Amino acid sequence: MKTPAFLPVAVTLLALASAVQAGTKSIDLPADGVALKPSPLPGYARAQAICSACHSAEYLQYQPATAPRAYWDAMVKRMTVVFKAPVADEDIPLIVDYLVRTYGNEQGR
Amino acid sequence: MNDERSTHRLRRRLLAGGAGALAAAGLGTLGRSAVAQVVGEGPTIELPFGNGGRRLVAYPEKRPLIVLTSRPPQLETPFEVFNDGVITPNDAFFVRYHHAGIPTSIDGDKHVIRIGGNAVGKPYELTMAELRTQFKPVEMVAVNQCSGNGRGFFNPRVTGGQLANGAMGNARWVGVPLKDVLARAELKNSAREVTFNGLDIALFGGGDFVKSIAVNHAMDGEVMLAYQMNGADIPLLNGYPVKLIVPGFYGTYWVKHLSEIEVIDQSFEGFWMKPAYRVPDNDCACVEPGTTAAATRPIGRFNVRSFITSVQDGGRVRAGQESVVRGIAFDGGQGVREVAYSSDGGQSWRGAKLGADMGRYSFREFSFGFTPEKGVHDLRVRAWNRSGQSQPMQALWQPAGYMRNVVESVKVTAV
Repeated sequence: MKTPAFLPVAVTLLALASAVQAGTKSIDLPADGVALKPSPLPGYARAQAICSACHSAEYLQYQPATAPRAYWDAMVKRMTVVFKAPVADEDIPLIVDYLVRTYGNEQGR
Repeated sequence: MNDERSTHRLRRRLLAGGAGALAAAGLGTLGRSAVAQVVGEGPTIELPFGNGGRRLVAYPEKRPLIVLTSRPPQLETPFEVFNDGVITPNDAFFVRYHHAGIPTSIDGDKHVIRIGGNAVGKPYELTMAELRTQFKPVEMVAVNQCSGNGRGFFNPRVTGGQLANGAMGNARWVGVPLKDVLARAELKNSAREVTFNGLDIALFGGGDFVKSIAVNHAMDGEVMLAYQMNGADIPLLNGYPVKLIVPGFYGTYWVKHLSEIEVIDQSFEGFWMKPAYRVPDNDCACVEPGTTAAATRPIGRFNVRSFITSVQDGGRVRAGQESVVRGIAFDGGQGVREVAYSSDGGQSWRGAKLGADMGRYSFREFSFGFTPEKGVHDLRVRAWNRSGQSQPMQALWQPAGYMRNVVESVKVTAV
């Protein structure tokens, strides 16, 4: 037999709920903790301008070093096709090349 | 769909006023990104897989947590927290966003949830004040777990957020059954799915984070709109002022800052339902490592998991003395029936003692006595739920790195 997942809340809890703060909650978020890895590749400057507009560099830095070119290519295309990131067509291969050679399985090549 | 309206409003602001307008609208993250400040100091942790170095940072309303990504914030709970009790404190609860357009200031009284869609007779707007006062509140203890919890342990490795096992937590939620909120909108017979959208948005307007569940699921009386977490307001980064609770289902469905609910007469196929968050459409939700699935389905309920929490892999215990080993187990809502333990790497098993039952969606504590001789001992625990489902001895694999639930090995040295 299944135990009931929840029970109606007693009046005491209602009183408790009214003691909870609600109202306006505001936060300040910390700065990014990781920067894109510098590289002489032309895609580095493009990535700084484009990728960093929406997200921090851990998204790239923490991927497994086995991540192949096809992965980076698919991700950059997801950013442009799905999320509408404004990336010029000619910049896409440059960014992919920078990513796979900096964070993926073509590091050092 | 209505969910695109707020996105379009924001895009207009973005185009009209740039980052400053966004910051003024309470979406300060874009303004920050333009500056691209970086701080590299502070405590770090090494997660036990390749490229596992992480920073620990205290985000607003949070203690220092493991930073998977700074912006948008994705924060993992340090595993030792799970040994402090079966309820995960609000300031230690994991955080997972998909887009950087996060609301950084929200009025928790004036916040409105719009209920509509082409399969309701009476669309309406519900303020938080009305949600708190016009419905009968319920409470439930339920685990939230990220689909990719433990992805970093996949072998062969898979891409995506490289998490250890801390993208889960167990909280006491107070709120209102979704069923009661939907009843006021008078669902039509054509109702098929219910979609959920929150205040967080994609900065360039594509791929808004919208999730859907079947209408029967939405009306099961358990899915709820929570406005309280562990007796307090929900932390902003966990979805203040109202969060969808989908008990037993992966966290991807637990939409934060819930602002729009639509009941629709068809299957919703937004990016985050298809192709994202899919698992192989077979019994094990798994495939041979390195292969892809012939067919997929949206990820759904948790499988069975159990963890030792009182000692971590590589830890030390006292030889010749009994120590009590503790841990937690959970599943997708049947409830945990049994936990077995082994101190010899899985060759022999005995029953662990279960702790208090806090409901079938909660972590269930277990414990067992262990009197080791000097040397290395391979501790393992394995749970069964009330349907007899359990955990595999060898890890299953799938391309997206979801649903890891292998019997974990914790090697301790007795000295």
